[in-house]
Parts: sequence; C-alpha cells; structure tokens
Amino acid sequence: VVQPGVVNLDLTRAAEKYGLYFAPDPSSQKSCTIGGNVSENSGGPHTLANGVTASHVTGLELVLPEGQVVHLGGKFVETPGYDLVGLVVGSEGTFALVIEITVKLMRLPEEVRTLLAVFETVEDATESVVEITARGMTPAACEMLDGWTLRTVEEFVHAGFPLDCAAVLLLEVEGVREAVEAQAAAIAEVCGLHRAREVRRARDAAERDLLWKGRKNAFGAVGRLSPSYYVLDGVIPRTKLTPTLRRIGEIGKQYDFRIGNIFHAGDGNLHPLILFDQRDRAQFERAVAAAGEIIRFCVEMGGALTGEHGVGMEKNELMPLMFTDADLDLMREVRAAFNPSGRLNPDKIFPLGKGCGETRLNPLPVAGGATDPA
Amino acid sequence: MSQHAASVTSRLADLVGVENLAGDPAGLSRYAVDGLTPSAALRPGSTAEIAEILRFAAAGGLALIPTGRGSKLGIGIPPRKYDLALDVSRMNRVLAYDPGDLTLGVEPGAPYAEVARQLAAGRQFLPLAPAFAARATIGGIVAAGADSPLRHGYGGIRDYLRGMEFVTGAGVISKSGGRVVKNVTGYDLHKLLVGSLGTLAVITRINFRTFPIPPEKRVFSAAFGEAANAWGLCERLAKSQLQPKMVEVLSPSTRHIFAACGGRPCWCVVITAAGEHAAVKRHAREIEGMAREERAIGFDSLDEAPGNALLAAIREFPRVSLEAFPGAVIFRIAALPSTMPALAEQIGSIGERHECETAILARAAGVIYAALLARGAGAEQRLAACRELMSASLAAGARPMIEWCPLDVKRALSVWPPPGDEQALAQRIKKVFDPQGVLAPGRFLGGI
Repeated sequence: VVQPGVVNLDLTRAAEKYGLYFAPDPSSQKSCTIGGNVSENSGGPHTLANGVTASHVTGLELVLPEGQVVHLGGKFVETPGYDLVGLVVGSEGTFALVIEITVKLMRLPEEVRTLLAVFETVEDATESVVEITARGMTPAACEMLDGWTLRTVEEFVHAGFPLDCAAVLLLEVEGVREAVEAQAAAIAEVCGLHRAREVRRARDAAERDLLWKGRKNAFGAVGRLSPSYYVLDGVIPRTKLTPTLRRIGEIGKQYDFRIGNIFHAGDGNLHPLILFDQRDRAQFERAVAAAGEIIRFCVEMGGALTGEHGVGMEKNELMPLMFTDADLDLMREVRAAFNPSGRLNPDKIFPLGKGCGETRLNPLPVAGGATDPA
Repeated sequence: MSQHAASVTSRLADLVGVENLAGDPAGLSRYAVDGLTPSAALRPGSTAEIAEILRFAAAGGLALIPTGRGSKLGIGIPPRKYDLALDVSRMNRVLAYDPGDLTLGVEPGAPYAEVARQLAAGRQFLPLAPAFAARATIGGIVAAGADSPLRHGYGGIRDYLRGMEFVTGAGVISKSGGRVVKNVTGYDLHKLLVGSLGTLAVITRINFRTFPIPPEKRVFSAAFGEAANAWGLCERLAKSQLQPKMVEVLSPSTRHIFAACGGRPCWCVVITAAGEHAAVKRHAREIEGMAREERAIGFDSLDEAPGNALLAAIREFPRVSLEAFPGAVIFRIAALPSTMPALAEQIGSIGERHECETAILARAAGVIYAALLARGAGAEQRLAACRELMSASLAAGARPMIEWCPLDVKRALSVWPPPGDEQALAQRIKKVFDPQGVLAPGRFLGGI
C-alpha cells in the first residue's frame, strides 16, 4: 500500500529485499510516481509480458471533488461489484484525487537474458518481431530503435551500439532459467532467419544495464541534437509494423522533418520522435500536422490514439477518430458520476469542439525538459 | 391476452421478426430467473436490433435480462421485475481473429467451446476455462465475471480484455477500449461490464488478447493426509522461482465429485506447469521434491488424457457439485493466500456444526470455492451455516458471495456481501448506463 507520490523505482527498490518488484517500468521510472502511473495506466518496456499498471493495482483510496473519501477494491481483484478500480486507473486524473494505492508485486525472475539483434533493414527487424509472436513466444520486452536514433544514442551513452545498421531489436526474456535459455535460443534463431547481422547477448548485469541505458535515455540523447522534439505515442497491431514505419518515413519526407523511431515493438506501441524548432512557428505547425497524420494512420491500421501516454490536451481533438459522439457522451456522463462539476483536470480527454489540428503551445515536450515518459 | 399486451407483442415481433420472438410458456420456461418467467423472449440478430429493443423497453417501463444460453442465470438475487428475456445466442460469430496480433473479437453469443476450437487451430487460447464450458457463451462468462483456474498463470478477465461494444439501458450503442494489446485512449468503460450481470448494458462485441498454447503441458497431483501440508506446498511454490499456471487445493470431501482423483479421502493439490520442455521437466522435479518435503502420501505426474480430465473436473466444480447435490450452496470467496488455510478450516467446522458436508476447492491465486452439500442437513441448518460462513469470511477480511444456491436460500439472505463505501458511486454509474432501470433491476450487489 503506497501513497501516490512514491517514485516508481523507489517502490521496486523497497520491495527488492523481499525478492519482489513492481512490474510496470516506464522509462521515466526514476522520476515518475505511482500516482501518475495510476492516472495514465502507464506501461513501459516490460508490459509486453507483465501487463500495464491496471493489472498490478487492486485497491484505491480516492477523494472525490466534493471532499468525500471512498475506498475501491482492496487487496484482491475481481471481487463482487463493478470494477471501479479498473475504471479509475487510466482516467487521467479526471475522476478523483487518488491518495492511496494497493499494488500487487511480482517475484523477481531468477534469470534475465538480454539480446541485441542488429539488422541491415527496418523490415527485417519488424518481420522478426512478427515471427517471434507467431512462434508463440512472449519476450518480457521487445524494443526497437532505428539506425538514426541508435547512432544518436550511441554518441551520448557509449553502449557499444553498431553505428552502421538500419535497426536493432533489444529483446529480453525472463523467468525460469530453462525457459529463458530455450526462448533466447529460439529468438536468436528467428532473428538469424530474418538476416540479422549479429545477435549479441549481454554477458552480465553491467552489460545489460548499459543496453537499457541506451534505450531509456534515448529521448535525452535526441534532445541534444534538436531545439525541440515531439514524442508521439500511437498503437498499431504488430503485424502492421512494416507498412506503418514506411508511412512514417514518407510523412517525414513530405513535411521535411527528421523522425526517429524508438518504441515498444512487441506490442505495437510506437514512439516516433519529430525533431523541430519550436521557436519557428511555421515549423511547429508543420510538426503538429505531421503528428496528426501519423496518429491518423495508426488508427486506420486498426490501432489506437495512445498506448500509454494518455490523451490529455494533446489528442482530445483526435478522439472522434476512434469514438462517436455517443461513445464520448457516455464517457462524459461517467466522469460526471465522479466529478460532476468538472473541476478536476478540466479540458482533458474530450474534444472541445475546436476542430482537429487546433494547436496549443504549452503541452509540447521541450528538449532538455522532462525525461522519457515511456 | 389484453389489448395492451397484444400490441406490445406485435411491436416486439416487428423489432426482431416473429420467428425470433417466443411468447409461449413452454418456450419461456428456460428463461426463468429465480422463479420469475418473462412474458416474452427476443432473439435479436444485430446490435441495431438490440438498441431498438432497449429503447422500446425504456419507453414502456419494461425490465429485461440479457442472456446467452442461460448457464449463469442463477447468479445474483431475484430481480425486482422481469418482463423480457433478451437472448443473444443468435449473435454468435467470431468477428475478427488475428493470430499474429494476438487479438480476437467475438459476438456475445459465441459459444466458448467453439471459440476455443477456432483459437486452437491457430495454436492459441483464452485462459477463461469456465464452468458449464459446454454451454457457456463468451458474453455470459464475461458478464458473470466467471473465475478461471488459469488465473494463477494468466490473470483475470480484466487483464486480457481489450475493448467492447455494448448497448446501454437507454438504447445507445457505445464502445470503449479497442483491439490492440495496449491502449489508453478514453475511459475503460468495458471493465465495468465484467461481472455486472447485465445490469449496465448489453454486450454486443468483446475484444480480447489471446495467448499462444505452450509447447508442453503437464499436470501434477499431490495427496496429503493433513490440510496443513497441502497449504505448505502452496506456500513453498509461492516462494519458489517456479511459475506454475494453476495451483488448486481440493479438500477430502471433493473426492466423490472428482472421480478422476480416485483413492482414499485426502487433501490434494493439483498443479499445472507449461512451457518449454526443459522448464516443464524442472517443474516436475522440483514440485515433486517439495511435495515429498511436505510428506505427501501420493504424487502423480499425469499424462495428457487423465491430466485434462482432472482439469475439466476442476473447471466444472460448480456444475458437478450442483448435479450431484441439487440443493448445494456454493460460495465464491476472494481471499488473500495467507488467510486461506485458517478460513478453510473454519469453513469445515461451520459445516460440521450444522451437519452440512463441505467441499472446498481453493485457488492459490486467491479464491476459495466452498460448497455446502446439504447432505442430511435441514433447511434451517443450511441457512444457519450460510449466514455463519458469510460472516466468518467477512471477519477474515475476505470478500464472499454465494454464486449458486436454491431459491429458498436467496429469499432468506442476500447472496452478495454488504456493499462498501463505493456503493453511492456504483449507483450513480448504474444511473448513467441505465437511467430507466431497464436492465436486470435488483439482481446485483446492493440491490442495483
């Protein structure tokens, strides 16, 4: 049972001495809090096997906007009654103030194997992801970095990433030792079949940490190159990875932006990074337009507006891409059941009727500011 | 038939077609809920038809209960009012199945067994493993919040449910979530419908993430003379690095239900391990070692056919108990693993005191099924045992409900635990989804 201001990584550190940990691990876990994870239903690289925050929260204590304290759930899940805990997790702070959270911890795995597969083309990398799934394997994490992003990261963290490839997959398998060995071998085989130039294995914890440092500090590395960047968060069915990445490349050319790709390939959760200069108003508007086009394409592929970062004020005008007025009205009414006056986080999630592509300056992440949220 | 009733019937026939409307007593008896029989049953074929029906019911002040093949209609307290049965069994298609994306979209009336068969062809499965598997529909399983023995390894429904389309009590077609495995766009309204017994909306489409069938599976059964050793094995497993997919504890009195176990009456722990060959082999070795350390009096590693028979018996525990003992009362109690041994012992002694035999099937992941088999006990004794079991569970910090019981028990006591301080919120949510109180009024926790 924790308070909302506890930092994600601190919870895991506190649990480690009992051989346990808190599974959701956003890349910002050094600074993000459990309360924030609950609001956004945060993910992270390891949600592929372990699920998002909602799967690890069993109880909440809330303060409703009128001041009333309410307890939802408890120490176990799926008890009689409506699943209000499941509803409140991911509600972006629009329902109530969460003041206490009961979380489920997991046992630390006895074996973790981290692999880095290096590819000459983006297609080979994405096709490997599809085949790993098709063979019935669920790695604990399956991250992809494209060649440009990788070179940028390497200059920053010096993890020994190859500088001349088109893409890498950072894969992790964990669990019972025998299973980990078998799966790591099978994954290496799949990557080999898809023309991976090499599949490196982290030999020890230090090497593993170095590889992850590259992944988790990627946004910071990119921030060194560009005055501003725009981190997108879209989801597609993973079988659509190849055409989607191709389309993102085209959109980048069309709008004349460098777009880096670093993302959770295993669950199709993309994070294209658009590099631009926010001081240039025309560039800013082009970046927003390019972002809108990418997210629209994700939805067209059968995906979603956001996989883990939430809707907020950035994508509220895009909500009609996925939901009808009736869908949104019902969601508004549910919000009113908790928060009738709309005083909590007003203007978030729902379209304000200003039309798609309406631009705002304040919510955009600026280089050198916040850490990588995913 | 009064003129009013005749006009209602003709309007309903217009909505779904006369061939999909049942109004005769013989056809309606299978829709009875707690002794109430509806005056008509409708079998709509589309979401649009369901929306029409709900708007019609809301306008006419009619009460309606959605159902698939009726295997779970006995759950809940007797409805306040029940005019129409909404039978969604015609809506039984698999709408989308993409093995490569691990996603599945089905209509609510899709039979579980048929969906499982289709998934197996893609070497995948859903970890639902419901009771009444031969009859159960996916919509019914989800609306009843049915528990699964596979919860241990794969989580509950809320963990692999991805989105839904549904029709509210006001007849509005709505949806939430999506199809992809990861998604935080909008509120997860669909989670509210899990276990809501049709009191909020009629489900018209359900999207899941699916799971690959592991390359190898093995079922182990360890027998113990004392309960403490059975629980001891569970504790050892929980502290180990092993990752069994299922851990179930069976009390001696379940033996006549689980013919597959055979042998003398004793406590039994049934475990499955699945995955790569080497990993399953290690599970076999270490689980047997732990069982020996707990002084097991028997240990079996079951081949596929007997293993699957035992798993099916565990899955069907409520059905088999009810068939063997028609007056049985079956509690479903959510509890912390650490409190389960003491609670199980208490359940046994409550039964003895009231001359009810008790059979316990405990899910190490945190659910106890306790069946009062009512052998020999009179109605009064059975009721007294139910009351005591309810309060003992609550006192132990658990959340009990009576999932199955005869009508006389329902009339004497609530099958639901007392609602907590979230009840006012739950009522407001009900009002949002079903402002006219059309959907299964009174059947749910707290009389919702």
